[in-house]
Amino acid sequence: MADKVYRLGCDIGGTFTDFVLLNDQTGEIKTYKCLTTPRDPSDAVEDGIRGMEKYTPDFVEKLDEVIHGTTLVINSIIERKGAKTGLITTKGFRDVLEIGRGIRYAPYDVFAEFPKPLIPRHLRFEVDERIRSDGSVLKPLDPREAKQVVRAILKLGVESIAVCLINSFENPANELMLKEIIEKEAPEISVSISFRVLPQIKEYERTSTTVTNAYVKPLTGRYLSKLAKRLEAIGFKGKLFIMLSSGGVTSVETASEFPVRIIESGPTAAVIAGQFYGRLFNIPEMFCFDMGGTTAKSCLIQKGEAGVVPTFEVGRVQRFMKGSGLTIQVPVVDLMEIGAGGGSIARVSRLGTLQVGPESSGADPGPICYGIRGMDPCVTDADLLLGYLDENYFLGGKMKLDKEAARLGVEEKVARPLGVKFIQAVWGIHDLINETMAAAAKTHIAEKGGNPSLVTIVAFGGAGPVHAYGLAKKLGAPRLLVPPNAGVGSALGFFTAPRAFDLLRSHKVALTASDFNEIEGILKELEEEAAKILKKQASEKDIQFERSLDMRFVGQGSETNVPISGRDFAKMGREEVRRRFDEVYEKLYGRTYPDSEVEFINFKVRASLPERLIQFQHINKTGDSLIKAIKGKRKAYSPKAKDFIFYTVYDRYQLFPKATFKGPAIIEEKESTVIVGEDGSISVDDFGFLWINLKNE
Amino acid sequence: MGGTFDPITLEILWRRLISVVDEADSAVARTAFSSLLRDAHDYTCMFTDQKGRELAQGSFATPGQSGAMALGIKNLVTKLPLETYEPGDIFITNDPWALAGHLNDVCVMSPVFYNGKLVAFTACVFHHSDIGGRVSSDNHDVFEEGLFIPLVKLYDGGILNQSVMDMIRWNVRTPDEVIGDIRSQIAANHVCAEKICQMLRENGLDHLDDLADQIISRTEKSMREEIEKIPDGIYQAEGMIEQMKGQQDVVIKTTVEVKGSDIIVNLNGSSPQVNWGGNVVYNFTYAYVFMAIKSMFGPDIPNNDGCASPITLKAPEGTVVNCKFPAAVAARLVIGHFLTEIIYRALSGVASNKVIAASGGTPAQMNVFYGKRRNGKPWHSVIIRGGGMGASASSDGHYVYIFPANGANTPVEIIESDTPLIIEKRELLVDSGGPGRMKGGLGQREVFRIPDDQYGPQSPVNLGIQAGRHIHAPEGLFGGNPGARAQFLVNGVPGNPFGLTQLKPGDVVTIDAAGGGGCGNPMEREPERVERDVLEGYVSLEKARDDYGVAIHPETLKVEEELTRKLRESLKKGNDRKRIDP
Repeated sequence: MADKVYRLGCDIGGTFTDFVLLNDQTGEIKTYKCLTTPRDPSDAVEDGIRGMEKYTPDFVEKLDEVIHGTTLVINSIIERKGAKTGLITTKGFRDVLEIGRGIRYAPYDVFAEFPKPLIPRHLRFEVDERIRSDGSVLKPLDPREAKQVVRAILKLGVESIAVCLINSFENPANELMLKEIIEKEAPEISVSISFRVLPQIKEYERTSTTVTNAYVKPLTGRYLSKLAKRLEAIGFKGKLFIMLSSGGVTSVETASEFPVRIIESGPTAAVIAGQFYGRLFNIPEMFCFDMGGTTAKSCLIQKGEAGVVPTFEVGRVQRFMKGSGLTIQVPVVDLMEIGAGGGSIARVSRLGTLQVGPESSGADPGPICYGIRGMDPCVTDADLLLGYLDENYFLGGKMKLDKEAARLGVEEKVARPLGVKFIQAVWGIHDLINETMAAAAKTHIAEKGGNPSLVTIVAFGGAGPVHAYGLAKKLGAPRLLVPPNAGVGSALGFFTAPRAFDLLRSHKVALTASDFNEIEGILKELEEEAAKILKKQASEKDIQFERSLDMRFVGQGSETNVPISGRDFAKMGREEVRRRFDEVYEKLYGRTYPDSEVEFINFKVRASLPERLIQFQHINKTGDSLIKAIKGKRKAYSPKAKDFIFYTVYDRYQLFPKATFKGPAIIEEKESTVIVGEDGSISVDDFGFLWINLKNE
Repeated sequence: MGGTFDPITLEILWRRLISVVDEADSAVARTAFSSLLRDAHDYTCMFTDQKGRELAQGSFATPGQSGAMALGIKNLVTKLPLETYEPGDIFITNDPWALAGHLNDVCVMSPVFYNGKLVAFTACVFHHSDIGGRVSSDNHDVFEEGLFIPLVKLYDGGILNQSVMDMIRWNVRTPDEVIGDIRSQIAANHVCAEKICQMLRENGLDHLDDLADQIISRTEKSMREEIEKIPDGIYQAEGMIEQMKGQQDVVIKTTVEVKGSDIIVNLNGSSPQVNWGGNVVYNFTYAYVFMAIKSMFGPDIPNNDGCASPITLKAPEGTVVNCKFPAAVAARLVIGHFLTEIIYRALSGVASNKVIAASGGTPAQMNVFYGKRRNGKPWHSVIIRGGGMGASASSDGHYVYIFPANGANTPVEIIESDTPLIIEKRELLVDSGGPGRMKGGLGQREVFRIPDDQYGPQSPVNLGIQAGRHIHAPEGLFGGNPGARAQFLVNGVPGNPFGLTQLKPGDVVTIDAAGGGGCGNPMEREPERVERDVLEGYVSLEKARDDYGVAIHPETLKVEEELTRKLRESLKKGNDRKRIDP
């Protein structure tokens, strides 16, 4: 073990595959980027590792862990490239998947489209069985009928089968029987049963989640086992982990069994990195802000913890419109994503005002200044024209930007049609996208009970540090934090992610009528199941369990999660449980109603292994003069002066610990540029992080 | 700053105003008690300028409430002289005629002051789960329907009027929930007011008036530009809405006059008000007229007073679409929801690409099941249900949605865990979509069994229904055929879909929600689409042949081209003959 000093984080994104190599002994961090290879993403992983070997020879043998995040699963859903999948459900309910919950997400738009179910109707089959809501059997499943149905569905050439029966979360016997029959009839077929994927009440949400799991299971399994083999072939002998949407990491086996849990594995890393910084620097309220080419993703982190929500949507047909995607009910980090990025397009709206985003020009054709084929002015064009970006130092000078073309584009497509001065248009694009992000951020922060004027904003992504100052101004946030390598720094989250797994079981029963022995049994079972999963990924015996209950007032529509201690539930008093619920409820909603009856809905267990910490490398540079770091001065726009003023341009690689300086400043690094206005003062800490304090009126 | 704003500043400030309401909206999600609010989002937050003109409303507002509120708040605000409002005042009312048309919709409204000057009003309407009274659609007047709160001060200059709170508390069945939700309304208004002042302060503005003028006039201009594209003229349509057995259909007569960029809707000649809860107040009628016009001419532009400016609605008092106090109004949706499709029909000839055929989710179906369990414990469940949406000239109708209203269904597993009922089926209804070049959306069938074993309840089980379309099917458009009718069967025998039905253990209730109307001649539907529909079981082989003239091979499920050509030819001849010789 002693020589296994490295850990590698590897994130497959839409355009680039990012690598971060950590030396646990020295704290040294190295990054690498290569183009994603959509046909076989493991090609890029191997290419990248080979590329990194040039700079760090023989690190592969010394790798203890590879932690992997991928957009493979989400892309196969969005592009509908999953397996041909069949569904077996209870008689009378084959349309549950298609009927959904019936909300029109755009109430005034009669032409709004809805996502098509992943399994078309002719591949949805029924069996004549029925479980009651209390788990008792109303109609048993006839094994002969079950076999016939399985054969009929196999005849249609499916590669994967989802099984979701009504009320199965209370009694899985019939689902298990079907699984057994399928495995006997066709051992090569992939099976997902709802009791394993999501044993939770509400048939649409459970079916949709199980079906999504089944849809991506074959390709995820193939990909992950191939990746594992390739890593082995190049000499990797450590453990391979996969990032979960909930912020934990898990084994290849578990990820292959429940691929629906790794859908958001990519963007989650930034949040985990944010959590880590939150704890490292003891920041009580942090707003993690990751702005890339097409979207901005953000998340409020309170006391070092990001919220985890039980449900999200994937494949929205109307980008960013809540309700226009497929519902997936697995724990996922509470991430807000809006259509605001460097590629967001500026145009004149129907109302004769400026509109920026959510449409994006993406990487190709890209903003006008890229000079690829872009014809529409974008946020990046405005950032360039405002002087925030240097046409000769984009991506460290790898890509020359065309300022003149950008100027013409903004003039023709925005300034002239709006009848405003050129500079108003350029600043307007930058300012409006900030306003859009601020509006979304405020709502997100309000929903979590946070306060925007107290948050520290941590900026990630290529465009994050360019816009963070403007965003902070709009939120009234007092402080900005820009980690080194902000463009890829989010991948650090891979190293700090807890090895944890969440399981739950629905069982609705009133507190007063519940059997605490039975509940202890359920919790124990969940713990054993979770322990089995964790044991696959590590030999550590010290697995920790956290128990919680989803409770609500009888008849209420949504539940409140109540954490409880790990001691024997059967020995707890009803009053004690009730008191816990009232405490939590009051904290969340300001008041509680002790006279109204409460009930249990779900029982939850989170199993986790101790966190592995990372030790950042202290920068050994010292210095007393910033002269070497100053590249010069550049005219850039100041909203305060309403004019171009001189900003001092710094080379981030030449900064040293304890250096302090004041805005207006532009700090350049390869992957991004930090903009600081007149009201900001910057200080560099021992790890090379930039701390920017804002003076707000 | 003040006067005029350049278009960029305007957009930024405008967005800020919308985000102010969205913040208030999410405060509701955090504080509201009942699931009707939290899960089905049956509430609307908005604010107006100091003249009562709506400036912004929550992005997820429900059409019925939001349209009615825009009008209602303007009227309320102008009722009192402006100088009588004081900081800290909070008003409350559920007057159906003043706001959203039934007693359950309670409005809380507050004036907003900035630097001592009145600058805005903020208001929200919540659909409360209970408001007392007799919960049924066959009441004869509004007095039977529950507590009526006229416009009163709940807070007077910041001081709570406890008597009003007590009066409400003692008149509802679920006081903790109702009072809790009223407090949540106060909190939402508070958030909204705070944020408005913050926005004024940050931007150095003294008031909202100039900003309001520009937002409203730009919105109005945009709506008018779209309306202007419609040729001037007078367009008419009529809607027939069924009533209880033995009563004549309610008729809604509509004349839509397009004059330049103005739309004048006149409902003269519509039926007089009825002696049950189906009566619609002017505001609610207006809301669904507005829904039609907004969805046609500006579905994506933010809602404010400017959207409404081009629209004039005339509805004679005493008719079912402008009922007089004290008419019963609790079941207003049974008639009110039809306004949207009637306007669509009137304008379909001149705006063919902006409308859809009639929908099976008009009106929304509402079922209230209640009774006692074997052990004497009462149970109660409210379920709403949509049908197939109408097809448009360019697309098939969506399956099973409530339209023009909106709302979520209740999961089968939740119903079964809350009640003794067993749900045997919730499925799409084959062949229920109106045939057309574009097919109407499919309706759905739900089957409920009342168990007679040890799990069963006591007899009787009561079932209250608000619904429609049992007699008049949702019509097609441009030669499309109607969708399937709604059905209500008890043990296979048609029951009475109005009022209350008493059931007993062992009974099986089947409820079909109607399908949407088709659009265009079904003989012109591409055979491949029909093939797909047959493969998926949306259309049967027989109907593919009879309604669409498409022959599909019963085993391969592929189109038989030659047969189809012949079939369509002979059907066309048959139709032509029918036309000549009816």
